[in-house]
Amino acid sequence: MTATVRVNPKLISELQSYGAEDVQNCYHCGNCSAACPYSSEPFILPRMSTRLLQMGLEESLRGNLEPWLCYYCGQCSDQCPRDAEPGATMMSLRRWLTGRYDFTGIARRFYRSWKIELAALIIVALLTGAGLLAYGFLWGGGNLSVFDTGGGQSAFLPAGAIHVVDWVLGLMFITVVLVNMARMWHFTMHAEDIPRASAGAYLRHALLFPLHFFTQKRWAKCDNNMPWLTHLPLMLGYLTMLVLIMFFLEPFQDGPAIDWKLHTLGYLATAGLLVGVWYAVRGRLKKNVPMYRHSHSTDWVFVLLLLAIVATGVLLHVLHRLGFGAAANLTYVAHMMVVVPWMMRFPFSKWSHMMYRPLAMYFAAIQTEALASQSPQLQGGAEDELAPVAEAA
Amino acid sequence: MSEPRTGVFICNCGTNIANVIDVEAVRAFALTVPGVTVARTYRYVCSKPGQEMIIKDIKEHALDRVVVAACSPRMHEKTFRKACQAAGLNPYMLEMANIREQCAWPHVDGLAATEKALALTSAAIFRVRQQEPLEGLTAEMCPTTLVLGGGIAGMTAALELADGGHPVVLVEKAERLGGNLARVDLTAPYLDSARDLITERITRVQGSSKIKLMLRSQLKSLTGFVGNFDAEIVTDGGGEATARLGNVIVATGYKEFDAARVTHFGYGKLPNVITSFELEKMLTAGRIETREDRKPQYVAIIHCVGSRSAEFHGYCSRVCCMTAIKYAQEIKSAVPSCHVLDIYIDMNAFGKGQEDFYKRGSEAKTMFLMFGKNDYPFIRKADAKDDCDMLLVMDEQLSGKRIEIPADLVVLMVGMEARADSGEVAHLVNISRDKDGWFIESHPKLDPVATTTDGIYIAGCCAAPKDIPDSVAQARAAAARIMGRIAKGKIEIEAVYAEVDEDFCSGCRMCNELCPYSAIEYDEEKKRSHVISAVCKACGACVAACPSGAIKARHFTDKQIFAEIEGVLA
Repeated sequence: MTATVRVNPKLISELQSYGAEDVQNCYHCGNCSAACPYSSEPFILPRMSTRLLQMGLEESLRGNLEPWLCYYCGQCSDQCPRDAEPGATMMSLRRWLTGRYDFTGIARRFYRSWKIELAALIIVALLTGAGLLAYGFLWGGGNLSVFDTGGGQSAFLPAGAIHVVDWVLGLMFITVVLVNMARMWHFTMHAEDIPRASAGAYLRHALLFPLHFFTQKRWAKCDNNMPWLTHLPLMLGYLTMLVLIMFFLEPFQDGPAIDWKLHTLGYLATAGLLVGVWYAVRGRLKKNVPMYRHSHSTDWVFVLLLLAIVATGVLLHVLHRLGFGAAANLTYVAHMMVVVPWMMRFPFSKWSHMMYRPLAMYFAAIQTEALASQSPQLQGGAEDELAPVAEAA
Repeated sequence: MSEPRTGVFICNCGTNIANVIDVEAVRAFALTVPGVTVARTYRYVCSKPGQEMIIKDIKEHALDRVVVAACSPRMHEKTFRKACQAAGLNPYMLEMANIREQCAWPHVDGLAATEKALALTSAAIFRVRQQEPLEGLTAEMCPTTLVLGGGIAGMTAALELADGGHPVVLVEKAERLGGNLARVDLTAPYLDSARDLITERITRVQGSSKIKLMLRSQLKSLTGFVGNFDAEIVTDGGGEATARLGNVIVATGYKEFDAARVTHFGYGKLPNVITSFELEKMLTAGRIETREDRKPQYVAIIHCVGSRSAEFHGYCSRVCCMTAIKYAQEIKSAVPSCHVLDIYIDMNAFGKGQEDFYKRGSEAKTMFLMFGKNDYPFIRKADAKDDCDMLLVMDEQLSGKRIEIPADLVVLMVGMEARADSGEVAHLVNISRDKDGWFIESHPKLDPVATTTDGIYIAGCCAAPKDIPDSVAQARAAAARIMGRIAKGKIEIEAVYAEVDEDFCSGCRMCNELCPYSAIEYDEEKKRSHVISAVCKACGACVAACPSGAIKARHFTDKQIFAEIEGVLA
């Protein structure tokens, strides 16, 4: 017999601010789990998560990997006879989990109030802009140039300096995300009714993390593959751009000559980002894809910031290469005013799912193995579901 | 007696009979039996041309007896009796041999089955020779109806009859009308006020010139038979009245289950464990509070208290699920900060509007928690550090978790049970009860408001737990049945009943006790028993039991039975 847990009728209202609007309507017919392409022992999606949420079992929910194993194809919501929107419930649980994993509490504030989030972003953006301008005027004597232009004027804030700022900010926020990932590990792998996994199990499945990080291949199980196929270029474009900026900023930024070896990658990455953002914005406006039917304020912030980054990035590139020095420099300031808030938001937002999702796939495989060794009837399910993924890895 | 002229009609029943039984052999055999004038086989004797064939033969061959060898008499005896009647022959001059259900269907050996069919047909031919023309009786129908019970069913039935212009005596045990519904606040699923529903009825009952209302009164005795009952009614304080009645509607309702019988809920010991009727009182008063006069933060509602349990009643009380959903919504609107936890086994939302109502209960953020049948939650006092008065512990079925539920108020959805006096009432009006004490209807599907006693009808919850629409429908149905009979004016009594030959009756009264329909009266003066033919169902129990052989069943005389046996053996 497992320990007695106290139900909490208040949690369901709390989840409302994370986007769980209709979860109370569920009466557990189980149609959603029958329809779900991802549901298999021991992870019965999405009914069990819905149940834990209805009952307000916070501990169990916190240790629950299931929301991350869902890719919101919406087949559950289509089958629901009571309009309980199980797909949206899983989405809201991912937001709530992101808030729970985050030790700073900032994610929770952002999710629960779009005003706070917006204010924080604006403040950071203004500080960034003000910082750059003040630096340029006070110490640079009005020189705001970040590019070494051919006219002999050397950059006041050269790529080298920006590079340092990038790395400092990047490391800061990566540290926060790593701490949050450690918390996720603790919550999920040390949950009460989960058997402890051996170090060997952690090693055996270790390749699942990079596999799912780069491919999101589990998503292919959805009937409609478009979300996955547009997310993939977005994700790969994003990573490419990140690598270019973090490791090759100087040759990438300086000019005006075009270094084709690097820039071909840059253009491809930009195209990938545009495809992904275009699909997301269009989906959220038209609400024609189940996963885009219910947009949370943070979802809009996510795509709009990304769109702004791509737009200012493209613009400054064009201006710089065409020789419009002053305009290019001003656009650069604008670009930084979006990039910095974006980076700052990383550990506290949807952004961090790029770490949590592959981590969840990794942990799920370990848990399945541990549970299967405990109860033999689960072995069939384990082989069907996660073992082939492990082999592929 | 002149030689009888019998026609024998053998049915093929399509291929049902003819595939197994050699019907031509049956026909040939029938013609060899003395007294058989004509014998025929036909594809479907029950069809229109089949019946016309019988009518034509009766007329042409001057038949005075008819045997049909076909299906069970339960199926088509009436059809063939009508055909005889149409040809001018007394319908009781017909006899049927069941060569389908008793020969063709149960047997695979055609030869043996045919032999059996021959024997049964022979028995029918021998028997019909001894049959006599019989005539049914008629009796007067008194237009007054006695309604027992002044709840929603009783009042509705009484008003329906009164509106049709017929006199009603409405007897209510309590000192007011309204029954259990008068103790309810709003009703599911449309949230109409119960008071509105009954106030209008009460006013009309009280103002009706056709309804004689007797409060604080009870039926003391009922004698006679349909159309001709005599009732004695007693009123608290010594009043006694008699009434002549044609029919009776029993609408005595139900009693709530005594929650104290379920020991693990602590009803009577924990002050904030209350019954649904106690909550109704709070809702009507508009104050939902604990015994300590605090607004509850958590209200737990437990379904199926006394119902659907191995220990108490196995049946479902039908109204509690929707009533619980109603509570969830009423509590939420009265105390918006309150959390309602609904603890159930299954949700029965069977009727019109109920599924929507259940969904509205969900939308009000009621937390539904499922327990297993016979695996009840138990309630204990919470600790000082808890933010609630009590804690319920149970195994939750939809999550597989053992959980603890906070509660400041626990509402027990008490089920319905048969009233303590239902046995007495059943005895008075001569109807039966099932194992749970509910009155039994004549047929659970096709005849739900009549009983096995002619002239006695049942309506509402005295027959089984039901909701208001079903109770009202039954009340109106019973009233309509009675009005139909009143409109006919006379009662036709079956020609088949038992008769006592008073010359042979010794007055031993053995038959009085045996008769399951209370159809035998004893005449104290003459010291003889007498069968009320209108009440007799011709079961034959008294005929077999009478030590003096003084009772004869019409259409089932000894002569006829012996002839049948002779026929089988011939």
